[in-house]
Amino acid sequence: MIKKEGSFKYLEIKNISKNFGETFVLKNIHLDVFKGEFLCLLGPSGCGKTTLLRIISGLERQTNGDIVQDGLLISNSPTEKRDFGIVFQSYALFPNLNAKQNIAYGLENKKINKKEIEKRTNNLLRLVGLEKYSDQFPSQLSGGQQQRVALARAMALSPGLLLLDEPLSALDAQVRSKLRNEIKLIQKKLNLTTIMVTHDQTEALSMADRVVVMERGHIAQIGTPFELYKNPITPFVADFIGKMNLLKGKYDKKNCVFYYLNNRFLISQNTEYSFLENCLLGIRPEDIEIIKFRKNIEKEENILRVKIKEITYLGTIFRLTVVLESKLEENIFVDVISNQVISNNLKIGDFIDIKLKKEKIKLFESNL
Amino acid sequence: MYFKKNFNKSFNILLLRTLIIFVFILVSFFIIIPLLPLFLKSFSDNKNNFIGLENFINYIQNPSLTQSFINSLKVAITTTFFSVLIGFIYAYALTRTRLPLKKFFNTFSLFSLYIPPLAVAIGLIYIFGKQGLITQGFFGTIPGFDINLYGFNGIIIGEIFYCFPQALIILVSALNLSDQRLYEAAESLKASPLRKFLTITLPNIKYGLMNSFFICFILSFTDFGVPKVVGGNFNVLATDIYKQVVGQQNFAMGATISIYLLVPSILAFLIDKNFQKNEASLISGKSIPFKPRKNLIVDSIMFIFCSLILILVIGVFSSIVLASLIKIWPYDISLSLQNFRFSNVAGNGYEPYFNTVFMSIYTAIFGTIFVFFTAYLVEKFKPLKKIRMLIYFFSTLPIAIPGLVLGLSYILFFNKPSFSVPFLDFKIFNPFSLLYGTMGILVLANIIHFFTVCFISATTTLKQIDKEFEEVSESLKVPFYKTFLRITIPLSLPTILEIGSYYFVNSMITVSAIIFLYPAKIPVSSVSIVNMDDAGDTASAAAMSTLIVLTSLFVRLIYEFTSRNVSKKSSVWINPLET
Repeated sequence: MIKKEGSFKYLEIKNISKNFGETFVLKNIHLDVFKGEFLCLLGPSGCGKTTLLRIISGLERQTNGDIVQDGLLISNSPTEKRDFGIVFQSYALFPNLNAKQNIAYGLENKKINKKEIEKRTNNLLRLVGLEKYSDQFPSQLSGGQQQRVALARAMALSPGLLLLDEPLSALDAQVRSKLRNEIKLIQKKLNLTTIMVTHDQTEALSMADRVVVMERGHIAQIGTPFELYKNPITPFVADFIGKMNLLKGKYDKKNCVFYYLNNRFLISQNTEYSFLENCLLGIRPEDIEIIKFRKNIEKEENILRVKIKEITYLGTIFRLTVVLESKLEENIFVDVISNQVISNNLKIGDFIDIKLKKEKIKLFESNL
Repeated sequence: MYFKKNFNKSFNILLLRTLIIFVFILVSFFIIIPLLPLFLKSFSDNKNNFIGLENFINYIQNPSLTQSFINSLKVAITTTFFSVLIGFIYAYALTRTRLPLKKFFNTFSLFSLYIPPLAVAIGLIYIFGKQGLITQGFFGTIPGFDINLYGFNGIIIGEIFYCFPQALIILVSALNLSDQRLYEAAESLKASPLRKFLTITLPNIKYGLMNSFFICFILSFTDFGVPKVVGGNFNVLATDIYKQVVGQQNFAMGATISIYLLVPSILAFLIDKNFQKNEASLISGKSIPFKPRKNLIVDSIMFIFCSLILILVIGVFSSIVLASLIKIWPYDISLSLQNFRFSNVAGNGYEPYFNTVFMSIYTAIFGTIFVFFTAYLVEKFKPLKKIRMLIYFFSTLPIAIPGLVLGLSYILFFNKPSFSVPFLDFKIFNPFSLLYGTMGILVLANIIHFFTVCFISATTTLKQIDKEFEEVSESLKVPFYKTFLRITIPLSLPTILEIGSYYFVNSMITVSAIIFLYPAKIPVSSVSIVNMDDAGDTASAAAMSTLIVLTSLFVRLIYEFTSRNVSKKSSVWINPLET
């Protein structure tokens, strides 16, 4: 975990657990969120990320553990006494109030005069770029516009913490990527500490300062998007952030060699690999080279002879699905630049040699 | 080490808990607790000595009384079968065929909901009775035909009139939930129409079907109005209770028979509840509604069927109106308004009518507020889960409590100025006894008698309102009651109006819940129909029925008009494409 220069812990989540009867939804979660940080809770459905968000908001109560916000212990404070704004997946805009009334809903309850409310509402409308739509009802707004109203409403009381629960998942791809940038811009501009829940790794990687990958009620790994991609510490994180081939085999620690079927791969020396000999070898599709295009193959290490089973076009690259003759059911994915495939006229059924780059290979403890 | 935010008990949560407990106490005292004196009474003699099961044994040993029990069951089973069958065919025609004049058939199918069962029975007398139009062959112009109205036949026809629209409402909404894609998929797999019906249509409506069986069973098993007027010597439980209580002042036996009436109803209720528990929506929000295709044969058969039903309904209604306008049926058939004077029999003039109208207005106002607020507390909040579940259960119970039983239990409960605590020489003042002998107790009885349907409809609407509205409000520090007034009520307005009009109409036509309860100084019109009919003044009874039906229809029209305005106003935010 990194600590940013000059940041202080704005929110501390201490040993939070949540269970419904016998089943655990969250197990001993520890997490610090720094002032002004954009943090993403990322994970597949059912990993507990939304529950954690709801516990932070007080809408759900933890079974155990404490939450400290801005130096105050808020573990048992009711929702309305906590300092946050929230945007739900469904937006939950009041359908019988127009955009402006929705945004002003929280302000009107405070003892502020009408002029001030008007001013602040207009500022918020401008902030999210909806000045022209202030009189429209939610049903008259597009999905993206509704999203922005919900965002403005959540920020109306100038909360210290913004919570976003899958805020973009109901939108189509184009609007989504546009809003991603906008939310990020507003967040940076206001230096607003933000926690977003999402199951979409692209969204998490492109928006977050740090990502918390969650799996079955616990935190699998915390880090910047690049750290997670570069150094995943579990096969789950490796395969959830990007794509990773995982091959099950045996590790000979003394000689730094990994045995997969009858093939041996040289592994960079790494003292962290302290686990038993049965383990997983992980390598990303883009870290596998096709050797066919090079000479002097005899000198090369970490070579596998494989057969092309499928070729999938993904834009600038092709993803080849290849298999070993001796293990046809295990797919290995190899990403190749489009030109290479075309100029070498690769076809399904061709045999090629691939090389797993030694320095890119990771080993993971096998829990299978 | 940290500053503790010490707001653990917030005012809002405290208020909410207080309200939930308050509503719990109210529903307990209005629904469950009044049944206790009834049970006690059934184990006592008329001097309040505990006599164990003696009443029940006496009942079983009395062959004429046991016959009533069998009769009631016969009536209920026969009525249920025909009502659901007719209701289903009619509902199928409305939802799954290209029935011509569908809108017309849709509107008028529910017409008989506005006719009190008592009035239906009176209408039947004028058509099938001894001097009836058909029995006498339209004043001798064609050969007459006697169906032996008084007795089983009359009761069954009357009850079907009363029950079939109830089945229809449930089945129409069940059949409306359909998915065109399922039928298309079946067709692409070469399924026959019968197979489609058995594998798609029926499974989709099984909960609605079961529910309509249950509703029709309870209504016809416990109804008092129809057997009272056309039952003749065919005794049923409901008329027996009436005779015991009103005729012989035998409250103990009345209570005992009430238990015999209550137990099968509760049983049916529990069976239905257990069955509905498994209900999971098979139709998702994304489904495409079924679009029936033209089918000349089916459409024509349905047209004929629906027309026949409507002709009968309108025929009965017309005969009520006609009867009220004719001087002395069948001897002097000139038209006159003399039957509307109500001066000759009860001598109360229009007092019962206006009492009933006011009672219905009060029921509509207070009932709607109470039912909606109860549903809101149960549906929208998290605290006190067990208590909320109990409130929910209590709220669904009144549908299984027959009106006569409710009325009898209310007398026994509300006329006690104080409760004595068992084993202690100590008495607690009964604050609810203040209601006894006032309009209040009639209103309360009506509110509870029709509580379940209103409660379910309020709950359904509240379920459709995003539960995150409450959470957003909390996060915006807006207390729940402000959101209730500003968001929940405006969004539920169509349902609130619907509940109000349902309460009004049913309070206008009901007799069973209030016949034991009405204070002598507050006569009500449905009771005066019974009395006028008893006194042989059927024409005045018909006139009063006509007034009731017209008033109900008038209120329904106001409702339609208002709700159309409301939906016009709200259509901006509900569905902008349709404006």
